[in-house]
Amino acid sequence: MRYWRRRQEPFDLEAELRAARPEPSNELVRTLESRVRNDGRTRVGTLRVAFVGALTAVMLVALGSVGGVGYASSAAQDAAVSVKRVVQPKKVVRVLKKSPAIDQYGGKKKVKKKVKKAKKGKGAKGKVRARTRPPFTG
Amino acid sequence: MLRRDPLANPEPLIRRVYAYVAYRVGDGPDAEDLTSETFERALRYKKSYDPKKGEPVQWLLGIAKRCVDGRGPRLELASEWADEAAPGDVEEEAIRRLTVSRAVATLDERDRELIALRYGADLTARQIADLLDVRTNAIEVALHRAVGRLRGAFGETDDAPPVRKREATR
Repeated sequence: MRYWRRRQEPFDLEAELRAARPEPSNELVRTLESRVRNDGRTRVGTLRVAFVGALTAVMLVALGSVGGVGYASSAAQDAAVSVKRVVQPKKVVRVLKKSPAIDQYGGKKKVKKKVKKAKKGKGAKGKVRARTRPPFTG
Repeated sequence: MLRRDPLANPEPLIRRVYAYVAYRVGDGPDAEDLTSETFERALRYKKSYDPKKGEPVQWLLGIAKRCVDGRGPRLELASEWADEAAPGDVEEEAIRRLTVSRAVATLDERDRELIALRYGADLTARQIADLLDVRTNAIEVALHRAVGRLRGAFGETDDAPPVRKREATR
């Protein structure tokens, strides 16, 4: 055996033990390495989700303490109304001209006089005259 | 605050754990299985790693030690399948490895563990002492004796007592 023949000269056993250290197969190293790295990746993903959730909760608490939630909700409502206005078909707007000022000064109402139709016949003419002229006294 | 990931750079850790396990149970499928089991447990209990208690490799070797100690009795020896390789067919490097692993396999369990931790996993005497919970001085002395016995197994003259034969089941 070459190894034993070579070993006849004094040799460093400790160095030999280190040099002859058993080595794992490349396949084992690759398999374990990918197993470890994949596990780490899953954990990082979970951590990210947890971080985002925690950040959202912190922001909600911070905004809630200064009334930001109410402000945000009213802003959202306004936005919804604006969108609704744009999207919804326009209705005919009836403007009611009814106010105290108009009641007092404005309203020029055209009162239609009722004109009675003159009745045909004498009696009817006489009546009309009597209404339009002063009565004949002689 | 986020903890440091003990398995952030797994490749050197895999090599050191495998070397430790292989020095203890012999190079081959058993060592591969135990190394895989060690890393599976490490992934499962990653949160239990405490950087204050030591380096990630020490933590991993603690797990590997428990895996090796907890396995069932074995019938075949590392030295037996090492005999199968014909020296003329393999390269000198492979022969050297087999010869060393054969010599290590002749040591008793305690010596083999120390040799595996020191020369397989490349831990210092102090790190081994921390891992095994004994004094550094005691480890240094025990290591010196283990190396002496190993020299005896290589057929060299040494003051160390003769090498004890490894039990067939274990």
